[in-house]
Amino acid sequence: MKLKSMLVGVAALVAGAFSVSAMAAYPDKPVTVICPWTAGGGTDVLLRALSKAAEKHLGQTINVVNQTGGAGAIGHNAIRAARPDGYTVGMITFELNSLPPQGLVPFTWKDFDPLMRINSDPAALTVRKDAPYSTVRGFMDYAKEHPGEITIGNSAPGSVWHIAAGLAAEKTGVQVKHVPFDGAQPAVTSLVGGHIKAVAVSVAEVRGQVQAGNLKILGVMSADRDKIFPDVPTFKEQGVDVQFYTWRGLAVPKGVPANIKAKISDAYKKAFDSPEFQEFAAKASLNLAYQNAADFTKFLDQNYKDVEAVMKSLGLAKK
Amino acid sequence: MEFNWSLMLASYGTVFTPGVLFIICVGVTAGIVIGSLPGLTATMGVALLVPLTFGRPPLESLSMLLGIYCGAMYGGSISAILIRTPGTPAAAATILEGYPMARRGEAGRAMAMALFASFFGGIVGALIMTFASPVVSSFALEFGPVEYFALAIFGLSVIVSISGRSLIKGMMAAFFGLLISSIGFDPISGFPRFTFGLMEMMEGPPFIPTLIGLFAVSEVFNEVQKTGQIKQLKANLNQYLPSWADIKYCFKHLCRSSFIGTFIGAIPGAGGDIAAFISYGQAKRTSKHPERFGHGEIEGLASSESANNACSGGAMIPLLSLGVPGDAVTAVLLGAFIIQGLQPGPMLYKEHIDIVYQIFASMMLAQFVMLFIGMAGIRLFAKVILVDRAILTPAIFVLSMVGAFAMRSNVFDVYTTLAFGILGYVMMRYDYPLSPILLALILGPMAEANLRRAMVISAGDPSILFSRPIAVVLMGLAVVSLALSIKSQKKVEARLAEMERTLEKETAS
Repeated sequence: MKLKSMLVGVAALVAGAFSVSAMAAYPDKPVTVICPWTAGGGTDVLLRALSKAAEKHLGQTINVVNQTGGAGAIGHNAIRAARPDGYTVGMITFELNSLPPQGLVPFTWKDFDPLMRINSDPAALTVRKDAPYSTVRGFMDYAKEHPGEITIGNSAPGSVWHIAAGLAAEKTGVQVKHVPFDGAQPAVTSLVGGHIKAVAVSVAEVRGQVQAGNLKILGVMSADRDKIFPDVPTFKEQGVDVQFYTWRGLAVPKGVPANIKAKISDAYKKAFDSPEFQEFAAKASLNLAYQNAADFTKFLDQNYKDVEAVMKSLGLAKK
Repeated sequence: MEFNWSLMLASYGTVFTPGVLFIICVGVTAGIVIGSLPGLTATMGVALLVPLTFGRPPLESLSMLLGIYCGAMYGGSISAILIRTPGTPAAAATILEGYPMARRGEAGRAMAMALFASFFGGIVGALIMTFASPVVSSFALEFGPVEYFALAIFGLSVIVSISGRSLIKGMMAAFFGLLISSIGFDPISGFPRFTFGLMEMMEGPPFIPTLIGLFAVSEVFNEVQKTGQIKQLKANLNQYLPSWADIKYCFKHLCRSSFIGTFIGAIPGAGGDIAAFISYGQAKRTSKHPERFGHGEIEGLASSESANNACSGGAMIPLLSLGVPGDAVTAVLLGAFIIQGLQPGPMLYKEHIDIVYQIFASMMLAQFVMLFIGMAGIRLFAKVILVDRAILTPAIFVLSMVGAFAMRSNVFDVYTTLAFGILGYVMMRYDYPLSPILLALILGPMAEANLRRAMVISAGDPSILFSRPIAVVLMGLAVVSLALSIKSQKKVEARLAEMERTLEKETAS
């Protein structure tokens, strides 16, 4: 009898100790990271490389889960609605700021707790190598002289590159036809095959064809020149003041305790700085652009206002 | 690009080392397993294993991924034949003949033919890839919106061939498929159509869950209804390779379908599912016994399986020589190449020609590895069919639900699977063919988006559709194939009616 009660006591003590340690030592089980885009795509590959590097700093397995569909809406919603215990992290992308103005989702970036920005890739205007123009101005002049001839491919209707091309055309006052494709890759292929006149996608997405000598970049829509193609001038240098970027970052649902948030951020920041991730990013020609939580929040606020304004003026936003 | 024989032989030497061969074996085995599980496609398999290749030497990583790709294309046929569940979308056409064969007790024969056809198609694809990449890839670039539209129309003409007995019922199924394929974002304006405000519906009916529901779950319901009455299936499982007679009988179709598969694979954006259906339609039109199609005709099985495996070689062509992926799997492979610091395209031929030839060699070896691993596993896989139906049927149901969920971790997809399962069951009861729905779901969005794109480019002038030679040829082929299929359909109906009459006479006397 005495033995039995002693055993019970010991069991209770052990259980108590475990429950205390569970509260104290985050993380004590694998962490899930939601990717709103398909396995094998740019966002997915980046997130997997980063998470792999973060595992050893976090001390737990990190599982990347692809919750795709609805042009990113489903994955973003899953991040927002996850339990705020720090065991669900997510990658948020540009679409978080372009879906709400279209009236497609009932939430905005304000429903998330941003952790850090990872990269930010500018749009580039790319044409065939044999095209009769080699500057942004030349392209726009050609478009003015040949109305109805210029077609610019983008990755999807209302996508970041659709908006970028629309903004560039609006700033220069030319009439172009926007041709949405099912992703950036088919648009680039179509340009190589000569079925459209130009694409407005990121430098990483046209790099291979440019290096192969099939395409040439007329300009990048960023503040500074591209690292891989330093010879290509920016739009601003060519007198067209347009800057447009896509971005990716990490966020958690609202309500995650501050100490846990700090642990996640810390692990991912170390992963970001690790040589293996830096090497990966260089190979994948990603434009790394780290921002901490405070700066990322400010950035998101400004970006949301900009995107909404552009989409309204292009007629892409919900009236 | 001059063909370099000595480099090719040297690269076979590099690949034919224990380390690389082992990696290929691992990849192929993983691929067969991934491919045979519903919901895990070749694309997902490759995507999930890409991170494992970070920091590994290029040849090892790429040959493992190629092994998965080839293995998964074959693996899809296993579950298609045995449990009427297409492991991958590319195996959907394999069900049409494979499953009836298994029901007839010929699972072993069907499995052996599927393996051999996969191997044959894979070899043809790899050969064309090795020797004709530059020629084929320049052809692939000719495909713009107008050509894709014409290709989709040509593909849709196959519907007649997969309509079963009644053309009207086949058309009804096809138009239903086209109708539901218009759910989701408008491809040009981005407006969400018929989504009822559901985010899950924004990209249309999720394809894999629809596929699993229509074929696997409907059959589960069908089995449940017959509980207690059905006989345990028998299967003769002593075959590793198809008999010489079977190979000779199907040889014509094997060759033709392998070529069709390679070329369709080489066209960016058109993959194994389209290739398999087009080859199947082609086989039925040219067969001496079109009336046997749909009831377990080995010719149909051979053509769809050789086409989808030939497709992998074909899809590698534009990837390597242009840097343009030929299908969804090669799109993921493109990422894997870039992580290895290799940019596929003309520059790869200039700077890393050794890697290019090593890829040719490992693609070829992967086919042989697939053949041997497939032969070793064939009896093991086929035993599935001997499991008591009372155990197997619920297991298939669970597997289907898990597969539907696995695709994008969304419960909505499970409901979709159930809904299409019920629909498929009702359609089967009333003798409506299911595969036209599938074909419409694959080709409908392709036809719509590309027609709309072409119209944007031409500012609404329809004459653009007839301005391009490839498109005109494809549309001409569509008309011819439609006419021939309808003619052959009439022949089928006449023969079936005749068979029924003789059967009636026999039973009467």
